[in-house]
Order: sequence, then C-alpha cells, then structure tokens
Amino acid sequence: MAEPLLTAAFLRKLDRLALQTRRAMAGDLQGERRSPKRGSSVEFADFRPYTTGDDIRQIDWNLYARAERFYLKLFVAEEELNVHLLVDTSRSMAWGEPEKLHYARQIAAAFGYIALSNLDRVNVTAFGGRPAAVSGIRGKRGAVALFEFLQRLEAGSSANLTQFCRTYLQTARSAGPLLLCSDLFDPGWRDALRTLTSRPFEITVMHILAPQEIDPPIEGDIRLLDSEGGPAVEISADLDVLQRYRESLREWQNEIEAFCNGRGMRYVRVNTAEPIEDFVFGQLRRAGVIR
Amino acid sequence: MPAWARRTIMSFLAPLALLGAAIVGPIIVAMYLLKLRREERVISSTFLWQRMVRDIEANAPWQKLRRNLLLLLQLLLMLLLVLALARPFVPVTGISGANLIIIFDRSTSMLATDESPTRLEAARRQALALIDQLPDNGRATIITIGGQMEAPIAASSDRRELRRVIERIQPSYSGQSDLTQALTLASALAAREPDSEVAIISDGNVIIPDGLRVPARVRYFPIGRSSDNVAINAIALQPGPIEQTLFVQAINYGPSPVTRRLSLYYDGILSNAVDLTIDPGREQSWTEAIPATVTVVEARLDENGDALPVDDRAYVVSPQRETVRVRLVSDGNRFLETGLALLPGLEVTRVPTTTLTFTESAAEVPLTIFDGVVPPELPPGNLLFIGPLRSTELFSITGEFDFPLIRPAAIEDPLLRNVRLTDVNILRAPRIVPGSWARVIVDSDGGPLLLAGEREGRRIVVLAFDLHLSDLPLNIAFPLLLSNMIEYLLPVSSVQLTTGQPIVAPVDSSIEEVRVIRPDGRVVSSREGLVQVQANQTFYTDTDLPGIYTLEERRGNEVIASRRFAVNLFAPAESQIAPQRDLAIPQMSGAQSTVARERDGRQELWRWLALAALIVLLIEWLYYQRNAIALLRERWRRRAAS
Repeated sequence: MAEPLLTAAFLRKLDRLALQTRRAMAGDLQGERRSPKRGSSVEFADFRPYTTGDDIRQIDWNLYARAERFYLKLFVAEEELNVHLLVDTSRSMAWGEPEKLHYARQIAAAFGYIALSNLDRVNVTAFGGRPAAVSGIRGKRGAVALFEFLQRLEAGSSANLTQFCRTYLQTARSAGPLLLCSDLFDPGWRDALRTLTSRPFEITVMHILAPQEIDPPIEGDIRLLDSEGGPAVEISADLDVLQRYRESLREWQNEIEAFCNGRGMRYVRVNTAEPIEDFVFGQLRRAGVIR
Repeated sequence: MPAWARRTIMSFLAPLALLGAAIVGPIIVAMYLLKLRREERVISSTFLWQRMVRDIEANAPWQKLRRNLLLLLQLLLMLLLVLALARPFVPVTGISGANLIIIFDRSTSMLATDESPTRLEAARRQALALIDQLPDNGRATIITIGGQMEAPIAASSDRRELRRVIERIQPSYSGQSDLTQALTLASALAAREPDSEVAIISDGNVIIPDGLRVPARVRYFPIGRSSDNVAINAIALQPGPIEQTLFVQAINYGPSPVTRRLSLYYDGILSNAVDLTIDPGREQSWTEAIPATVTVVEARLDENGDALPVDDRAYVVSPQRETVRVRLVSDGNRFLETGLALLPGLEVTRVPTTTLTFTESAAEVPLTIFDGVVPPELPPGNLLFIGPLRSTELFSITGEFDFPLIRPAAIEDPLLRNVRLTDVNILRAPRIVPGSWARVIVDSDGGPLLLAGEREGRRIVVLAFDLHLSDLPLNIAFPLLLSNMIEYLLPVSSVQLTTGQPIVAPVDSSIEEVRVIRPDGRVVSSREGLVQVQANQTFYTDTDLPGIYTLEERRGNEVIASRRFAVNLFAPAESQIAPQRDLAIPQMSGAQSTVARERDGRQELWRWLALAALIVLLIEWLYYQRNAIALLRERWRRRAAS
C-alpha cells in the first residue's frame, strides 16, 4: 500500500477542527449537532400543550402547578450529520503534478476525518470512473475504512457530472454538508450544481486544478489531446495565446464562483501545488468550511 | 513592342536562378507541412482550450492566416532571394564600360534652374546613376571641369567614396568649361584600359579641343532644357564732382524678347527699379546719376523666367579714392609744386633737403619725391627721383652729358600716355646706369632720361634731368607726364573684378593682419594664411563667389584701412546657357557624335531585392521570437513598475 493519505501529525491537528454548518441539519441518529427536530438534550427549546399519546415524562410539572394545564417541555434534538463526500474520479483527475485525484482523496480524507471525529456520519461516493460508494461510516474507528476506501479509488473514464448528480440526489438518504471535489471539466457543470441545490445540502465545491492547468508550460505548435477522449485542439502556443488561456480560465472560475455564491454554495479554488495542510488550515478555514 | 514597354521591361542576367524557386519552394512547403504534424500532448481536458479557441476564432477570422504567417514569410524571403540571384535589370541610357571616366561640368552655367533644382544637381543625379550602373568589377574616375580642372578621385572601385566625391562637387564661378585638359587626361587614362568609357555630364557649353582622338567611347549626357537667360554684363560707376554716373547693361541670351525689372540698391537700400525690354541677342543699358555719397551699388534683375539667377546680379564699388599724402623733398620747385597741386587727391608735404631720416611708414606716406637730392637712407614707399645728383643702391651716376638727344619711344608705356617729349630741350643730364629692376622709358644718345620699375615691392621712377635745366615745365607735356607718373606711383587698386581674379592691394609693412569679409559672410584672415601678405602687397585669390569683398587692414584690434571690391560674374560663355544636344568629339572608333542611342546601360536591381529579403528575414525572425520579445517587454515593464 502506498503512503498514508494523511500523516498522523496532521490527523492530530484535524482532531481540533469541526465542520461548520450554517443551519441546523436533520439527521437519523442521535449525535452532537443541533437538529431542527426536538429531542432529548439539555438545551431548552419550547413548550407545547400536551396531547394524548405524548410521553408524560416530558410534562413540565412546575408549569402545571402555575397554569394547571399540561405542557410539554421540549428540548433541542442533537443529532448526527450526514456528511456527503463526492469525489470525481474521471480520467482528467488523474493528471497534474501533484495529481489532482490524490489531492481530492486527501481533501475528502481530511474532511471525512473531521466529520467522523465529531460523530457525524460520512458517505463517500466516487463518480466518473468506476462507481464506488461507501455510506454510513460512523465514529473515529470508521476513519480506517474511510481511508482505505479512498486509497482504493482509481481514475476511470469520462464522467457525466449532471447525470451523476441527478442520481445522487435521488439516492441520498438525508441532506447534510456536501463536499464536491472535482475539476468541473464538464460542459454541464452548471446543470449539475443546479441539480444539487434542489435538496437542502450545504454544498461546498472544491474546484481542484493542477498548476499545469492554471499556467500551462507549453510552447510551440502543439496538438492537445483530451485524456477523456474529448476533441483534440491544435494551438500555436505563444505568449499571447497563453495569456488568453489564463484569462479564459480566470473568467471561467469567476463564472463558477458567481454561480455558487448566487445559490448559497461555497466555492473554493484548489491548486494542487499547495500542501494539503496549508490548504486545510488556511484556505478552508478562511472559507468558513471548517472551524 | 511600344517604346514605353521597352523602357520599363525588366530582364534577368541569370534567369536560370529562377529555377531555384521551383526547387526550394516545394521543399519549404513540404517542410512546413511536415512540421504541421504537431507535437501531441495529452492534457487533462481540452475543455478550457476549446472554449478559448472558440473565442479567438470568433473574434479574429485572420487567425488562420496568422498561423501560416511564418510559411508565407519564408516563401516571400525565398522568392526575393531567388529574384536577386537572377539579377534582374532595367535597361537604361548609360554606360557599359568597366573603366568609367566621368567628366563632370561644374561651371557656372550648370547653376541654371531649368532642371530641378539645378543643372548641377541633375548632373549629380546622373553621375550617381552612372556609378550605380558600374559593373561589379568596374572602376571610375571623376574629373570636374569649370574653373580649375580637378580629378578628385581616380580609378576607384569604392562606390561609397565615389558617391561621396560626387556629393561634394561644388559649383565653380570662374573660368569656362574647357574640355581640352579633361579629355587629354581622360584619353591618357582610357588608353591604359581596354574597356574604357568616357561620360561627359554637361550642358554642352564647353570648349572642345581640336585634333584629339579619344581612344574610348565617349558618351555625352546632356543636362538642361531652357536657354532663357538675361545677364547683367556690365556695370560701372563714373565719379563726378557732384554726383556719380551709374551705368548698367543687360543682355538677353534667350530666344525671345523679355521684359525684366532691374532693381538698383544703393548701399543696400532699394532705391530705383526700371523695366528693361530686351530683344533676343541684344543688349540694353541704363544710365543714372546717383549721389556721390553712395559707395556700393548692387543691380538685380528679377527672376521672372530666368534660368540662371547667378548672373542676374552685379555689384560696383565707387572708385573714389581718399587723399594720399605725398612727401616732397625739395628746396623749393615752383613748377613741381604747381603741377602736383593741380592733381586731385594729393596732399603734398614739403620737407627740407636737409632731412636725413623719415619716420612715417609707407601706409601713411606712400610716395616720396626727391627733387635734386638723394638722402643717405631711402624712406619706405614708392620713390620719384628728379635730377638725382649721386648714385644710390638703385642706380649709379657716372657723369653728366649736355644736350641729350631724345630718342623716340619704341614702346607704348602708360607713363607716356598722351605725352610727347620729342620737343623738349634739356641742357644737361646725369649719365645714369640703371639697375636691373628698371626699364628705360625715354632714352637718349647719352643715357636714359626716364626710368621706371619695381623693386622689392616698391615702384620707382627716375626722371634724370633737373626740371630747371630743361624747358619741360613750360611744355604742355609736363602736367600730363607728372600725372602719369603719379598715377603709376600711386596705383589705384582695381575695385572691379570678375570671379576668379585675385584681390591685390598694397599694404603697409606695419599692418599685422589683413582680413577679408566675403559676400557669404565668412571672414578670412592672413593669420590663418588664407590671405597672403608679402612685399607690402596683399593677395586674396578665392574670389569665386560674386559679390562685395571687404578687405580690412588691422593693427592689433584696430582697423587701419578698409577697402571694398566688387566681384562680378561677367562670363558671356557661361551666361549663354542654351543646352547642346550633341558634342562632336572625335573618337578612335571614327565616331563623332556622342549621343547615346542604344540603351545599353543596365540598372541592376538585385541590391534592392536583397535589402527587401533582409527586411523580410528580420520580420520573420522577430515573429518567430515574439514570445521572447514579449517576455522581455513584460520583464522590462515589471522592472519599470518596480
């Protein structure tokens, strides 16, 4: 087996972090997160008149003494979160130096580890290549399973992002924080992201690009072949063309960012040249994804 | 084939080289196509690139062409080089010899403006064109005629130097264009080389030598179109007691009658203007009384329709002379003193005969008259001895003789102008043995009676007999003889010169510097050796430019005397500017005519093509290196920003 995804020291640092959610999320099992539901915790939420069938243990007897009517004292339910990790394993991800897929694995691992250490439930789904999914990992012990799954991910053929998102939307059990690690090299990225917003996921788009994609080190007359079998492009790369490429890339990123901001998604630009620790503690924190 | 087509058609000296295009062209295209098989490189996704290329191609439809720009440039470069190798040429009137001798006319008539801007410039262009046509191994000699003949460059193959020499040819304002010397030199040069050719670039107003056969082909390149020219050919200022009389004469050399305005400038101020109508080939004069105070008159003809403006101006300086001091060493001679008093402009100072030393300089007292005495030491300046009693270093006296018999003068001397001495009776005269400097003007049976001559820059006249011992003072000849002698001894330096004539003026030995202010404003000085001063005379020879020359005699910073000289271009041969179509110069081949009939000159064009190829090469290289250049620019901008 290759080197571990994340170093032990890094994992220890990750222990101090937690996922940040902007709103309360409903989960299935009891956990540590505020839920929109009422449940058993120490945090008072509301009173409600007693109706037949309610648990009489929840009646607030002090209030009954004053009002001579039965009221139930309601507490904020604390539940686990369902964290969704979507990792793009299309062939375009297996490119770049450092490799984008590896970086995506590391992000997913770090994110998943944070979630697991906060007693959240982690669902990982790889799309694009050979479909693979593991769901319902819980507890810190589940981290091993999570890492193993991620290590096993391999780049496959081309991905249809929109199609995958539609399917996932229907199959996901409950909404929660959703982390999409992809290079978004798909003409349908707009539709895909729009699809995901139709359920109350709290989406963070990790837009992973290799430095070779941000500033292509090419010169001269070159025929560019698409690793996913897309149409080839012939260019005469001179400074002007490269300049245009960089402008085009910037425009595209801005476009995605604007799209995400308009729909309550977080958009994080990822350059795989940046060490993963710096990225997690720097950019992710700044972006408010974790705290 | 029509004439214009024959004139403009281009031919090739080495047309086979064009085949090169057929070989190299396809190779370039093939190489380019091979190179078009681009290097392939797999990238993650072409998604972004497609997006970009779509943008670019939508924005600029010429992008496709730009992709092929290098190929196009290379093909163009190849075409230019192949064309240059094929050595294209345009047939022109010109020369074909390898040893070219250019005779370049730079005389005044070449300043005519009927060619643009002048004939001289047109001739210069023609000469440069001939140098261009010189075959690759050809050599050229340039001979300039007009004024002094010069050969500034001989048998040189250095085109740059030849061009430089041609560019530097200056017009000459003096002397006629004489082909004699130039053709003799050209013949000598041509005889040495078999493939020689003589090109005469001139307007044809030249003197052609007789009896010379040029051992080479002679080509004449006529310059000039018009013969319209009016020139001022005479100007004079006659002094009078109250006012002066100005005389100006203009002559029409053109073929048709013209009316020209004559403007007269007195001391630089326009004072009169008259219209002169002159028939072709005739002269027209204008006479006018002008104030005596005017010292310089300039006459100008307007430039209306005149091809040669240089001869439309003439200058005259009033010949008024200032009073001259004359020293008379005498014990009293009524005849002499009365005679001198009658002469104008003299201030006679009588000095007693006991005077032994003379302190004044020659500038102050230019003439000393010794009446019957000979001092031990002669003063500076010119000398007139009358009846000397003893020998001097100039002559010796060996005795006396009575009743000399005057011999009639054999020569016409200016001293004897209007004078007849044969009626004069002389009682006694010393027997004089003259020095070698003297010429005998009046001789007698006993010895010379009147001597004149120059020695060491001074003029000397000896009248052998004492005036009291003859009846000469009572004779009508006396005042005339005296006047002639004084005129000879006090020469009025000529103030009217033609171009090329030297300015000559007497100067005193105490003068430290002589300056000449030229009409073009330049000041030349004897300090720089440009004005010669020797033996109490000053010379200035560079009077090619018409106009007023001012000569200043200076001592220290002080101007002692100032004289003006008018230099005019009175050169009828040069003013007659009608261009000649042909020159009859006998050649060895038997030909007489020098008109170029065939167009056997070749204007080769390969240099221009090579230049164009170089430029294309440069553009191609710049285009190929555009990334590096852009990078440099970027770095520069960044550095400038920081």
